[in-house]
Amino acid sequence: MGIMQTDRTLPANKLIFEVRRDAALRARFRDDLDGLMRDYGLSVEEQQALREINLQKLSDLGMHPYFLPQVARLFKGAGYNHNDSEAARLYADRMLK
Amino acid sequence: MAEIVSVIALAHAPGATGWLDKAPAHEQEAIKVGYGRMAGRLRAARPDVIVGIANDHMLNFSVENVPDWCVGIADRWHGPSEWFRDWINVPDYAVAGNRDLGRTIVRECAKRGINLAFSEKLEFDDNWSVPLNFLTPDHDVALVPIHMNCVLPPMPQPERCVAFGRALAEVIKAWPQELRVAVMATGGLSHDPGGQKYFDVDEKFDRWFLELLGAGDEARVLRELSIEKMLGAGDGGTVELLAWLVAMGAAQTLAPGRGSETMFYVPSVPLRCGMGGVEWAVCA
Repeated sequence: MGIMQTDRTLPANKLIFEVRRDAALRARFRDDLDGLMRDYGLSVEEQQALREINLQKLSDLGMHPYFLPQVARLFKGAGYNHNDSEAARLYADRMLK
Repeated sequence: MAEIVSVIALAHAPGATGWLDKAPAHEQEAIKVGYGRMAGRLRAARPDVIVGIANDHMLNFSVENVPDWCVGIADRWHGPSEWFRDWINVPDYAVAGNRDLGRTIVRECAKRGINLAFSEKLEFDDNWSVPLNFLTPDHDVALVPIHMNCVLPPMPQPERCVAFGRALAEVIKAWPQELRVAVMATGGLSHDPGGQKYFDVDEKFDRWFLELLGAGDEARVLRELSIEKMLGAGDGGTVELLAWLVAMGAAQTLAPGRGSETMFYVPSVPLRCGMGGVEWAVCA
């Protein structure tokens, strides 16, 4: 997968786009992810993939590649994002073949 | 009349401010010296305003509606965007805009058949926060930010990027105000956020690309540098070099046939990016 395979109409893309821009939505992402995903109309498949931080599955469904490491950071923190950081390690674990 | 006094392009990877200490000492030094050299050149050109072109990173334009380019016309800008603060690790900053110039670019490019969006509100991430931190750390040079779609297909093709750069240079030069303008593209070089090469840098591509720009042959650039070639060197990020083609188009308008000078290049795996920058000597 890659940027050319992005499904820009995928509801999960809209959700991640907005969550990064809105602190209130980030609080809901943390405290009520299921409700937030329902409100954005994510399919059952998308919901399961995001809940499980299944980055490869999100990619297969058409999430923009740019959002994949950002999903890892939303769950594991964005600060000091070096290659051994928790977010980067999560990305490597879930994405690299 | 306004004058373009500098045309530069440089990487903006967040690791340069966010986790530079994780790079080996020689990389840290080379990156700091490289940005420092570019800051020195920019200072020497004494710009009143920087017209910047950089990837939007899908921060401002929702997937529903993404312009190829969007010119920021506000009087004042603030960064970094809240969620990106921890990641980028630079102090909050404010920088003046230039409404008249921003509006002029939109209005006059329209007359040349180039459709630019414009906005009072743009969130900044590493696209401006990192280069400004190194080049103008006091944020004392105004910025007209032009956010660009480099990563959500369909992106503007290289030919359109160069054509926009040419129009941009013509519009700025024709502006009847006394103003010293720097054109600054940011982004690249090879990197792959969200892809299989996330922890790799394509040094071979980067050195080829820098040599290509250095040769100053616009036709050759357009012949050899396709979007597909950039995708192959790092799918998620290398296409940011489309912004460099806008700067190249501006430079070629001012100094036809003149190549760029590579100011620095560091293939930094710890920063997950080919770090580098170039300058076109448009006034020499």
